[in-house]
Amino acid sequence: MSILHDEGQQAIASESRRILEARISKDDLLPLLEESGRYHEGFWTIAKEQGWTALALPEAYGGLSLGLVEMGLIAHQAGRTLSGAPFLTSGFGVAKAIQLYGSEAQKHRWLPGLASGEIIGAICFAAGADPLPSTPPLALVDGRLNGVASAVSGGNAADVAVVLANAGGQPALALVELSGVKRELVESFDNSRLIADLHFASTNAEAITTGEAARAAALHILALQAVVTAHEQTGGAEVLMEIARDYALTRKAFGQPIGAFQSIKHRITELYGLVELARANAIHAAAREGQHDFITAAAAARLSATEAYDTAARDCVQIHGGIGVTWEIGLHLHMRRARTLALEQGGPFFWEDVLVDRIAGAAA
Amino acid sequence: MSDLEAYRTKAAAWCASMVPDFGRAARKGLTVDEDLALGRRYQRAKFDAGYAGINWPTEFGGQGLGHIEKITFEAEEMQHGFPNVYFDISLGMPVPVLMQFGSDRDFVKERVLKALRGEEIWCQLFSEPSGGTDLAGLRTRAETDGNGWKINGQKVWTSWAQYSDYGVIVVRTDPTVAKHKGLTYFWVDMKAPGVTVRPIKLAGGDSHVNEVFFDDVKISDDHRMSPVGGGFAVAMTTLMIERYIATDSAGFGPHLDLFVDLAKDLRINGRPAIEDGRIRQQIARNYAMRSGLDSINRRARLMMEAGMTPGPEGSLNKLVAVRSRQKLSELALDLQGTGAFLFDEHASPKDDWASSWINAPTGRIAGGSDETLLNTIAERILGLPQDHRPDKGVPFNQIPA
Repeated sequence: MSILHDEGQQAIASESRRILEARISKDDLLPLLEESGRYHEGFWTIAKEQGWTALALPEAYGGLSLGLVEMGLIAHQAGRTLSGAPFLTSGFGVAKAIQLYGSEAQKHRWLPGLASGEIIGAICFAAGADPLPSTPPLALVDGRLNGVASAVSGGNAADVAVVLANAGGQPALALVELSGVKRELVESFDNSRLIADLHFASTNAEAITTGEAARAAALHILALQAVVTAHEQTGGAEVLMEIARDYALTRKAFGQPIGAFQSIKHRITELYGLVELARANAIHAAAREGQHDFITAAAAARLSATEAYDTAARDCVQIHGGIGVTWEIGLHLHMRRARTLALEQGGPFFWEDVLVDRIAGAAA
Repeated sequence: MSDLEAYRTKAAAWCASMVPDFGRAARKGLTVDEDLALGRRYQRAKFDAGYAGINWPTEFGGQGLGHIEKITFEAEEMQHGFPNVYFDISLGMPVPVLMQFGSDRDFVKERVLKALRGEEIWCQLFSEPSGGTDLAGLRTRAETDGNGWKINGQKVWTSWAQYSDYGVIVVRTDPTVAKHKGLTYFWVDMKAPGVTVRPIKLAGGDSHVNEVFFDDVKISDDHRMSPVGGGFAVAMTTLMIERYIATDSAGFGPHLDLFVDLAKDLRINGRPAIEDGRIRQQIARNYAMRSGLDSINRRARLMMEAGMTPGPEGSLNKLVAVRSRQKLSELALDLQGTGAFLFDEHASPKDDWASSWINAPTGRIAGGSDETLLNTIAERILGLPQDHRPDKGVPFNQIPA
């Protein structure tokens, strides 16, 4: 897959941008912060209508047979407009897990619904600070799952989850239908992510893969999601850089636009650099799916995208001065989202270690 | 195999065949004069093999190929540490400008050929003691003298002037107009009476830059390469000629795998350095930064191959790569503790951490300082305002010194 986007891919980027900019506004997103258990349904409707949920899934199961590059293009635009739901990424992760490791029956059962967006998927791998715990808190015995998956993004709305479980001392990836599972909403600083604790109590679960293969599979799914998220983060960072630039061109102090002061001008230019590095790494990683260095490329993409979005959120607010910290201007939506996306799919410490293990050989 | 891939393969094979005569091992222990002599032989070999002036017109002895072939060759060439540094500036800027603007075409043709063969070297006389970034603030003056001109003043930071046969120079021909408007562009014979070159020893111990003094240096008007008062535009052309050169995400310092090797060999407080979170974080961050630049550069190459103009993000290369090289080099010295003290001033910045560290500031200043690059990106790419310039529009001779 080339890192030069072709005409079809450019059209995906421009069309998704046009639609999202026309139909998503911060005024719809702000109230969601103060409510529990609500997300931007309009965003999800657009995603379904436009076939974004089907993009990277096989045609045989209702998908469009495109790939990670196209998912990335959509995620980038979603990041620019503060995507209204976490399921675009987690549904993709669940679908890929089923597609890559599941049985034919599981594919028929779940992929068409995930492709149409009628079924919402969630990923339950992390346990607190550990994105891929070696002894997961969920226990899988004889097709029954027990334990609590904590702080699952999208967990409050999901219909199906792929979990990393402990199956008699072995890691296992398992597929769990969530109807009837008790969910406890987590009040978070980014409430529309629908983060919830999922309480499994002898819940039916089908193992997809077990043993060391399950751990490798979980890392692969996490990396696929991390590349999608890296694009989303890059989109967020890019739009913040533009907002900061536009503000610096219009806001005046001491008789000139504040963008004429090097302290402001250089800060924005540094953001430009971070955004371009993040973009380059994200595009590269998306093009490396299926190659031997995919995990390394995903880790690099994840690290630079996280740095870009967090820094852009910090600096864009700073450049705005007082108005930047008001509720109404909504820059805090990006501050919140930047931190949320930094923590979903494994934070920087996790990916730093994944990366160094790969380029230096696993540390003894 | 694509044409370009075939070109790359052939170039790689040629470069490999040059290693015994011109590679790092062959250069080890040579004096600068010996190394320069070796460099001239290498440049001649390049010319004979068709790798000099790759993207220059064939009528001037070039190969008539594109930027992309040139960059492809350079990417192969720079892996071997050949003695080509003496010709980088000469063939990078002054000689292409001569090709474009020199008035006596037979003279131009002869000079270009000799430069391509490594027989003659050209320097670029731009920066002055009063300023480098503020090029248009230069003070060296040329006054009319009969039918020609007489130059007085001083240039500084002139790379390879001590070995140069000719130079291109921007001088002030009219101090009564605004600073950009009173400049004119000439070429000069560096061996002419009144030209004095004094090498400057740099912090790292080498002396590739010079002060150049002009005392009543007389030149005829056929040395002029711009309209009188139109020199600034030609100088800007010079700076734009080689927009796409082979870049190095290591900032022309050591590659990251050398740092990883160091961290595997050493211990911090009794524990392997490669297991230390602080070290791992720096490795990961540097890897991500360098892979981002590599991807930017790969995309630029693909765009050029497809006949498109690469995006402006390539301008981040030097800014990002060199300053991170500086920090990583410091960290590499930290890792070694007192073991880092042993210093070889002739070591290469590309594989020696101390050499990389002590020479890094030059990289952050020469060819556009970090601050200048930030301004350029801010203004040209992001459309942010120019800095306040109190001397704007003021006649040069009324600007307070």
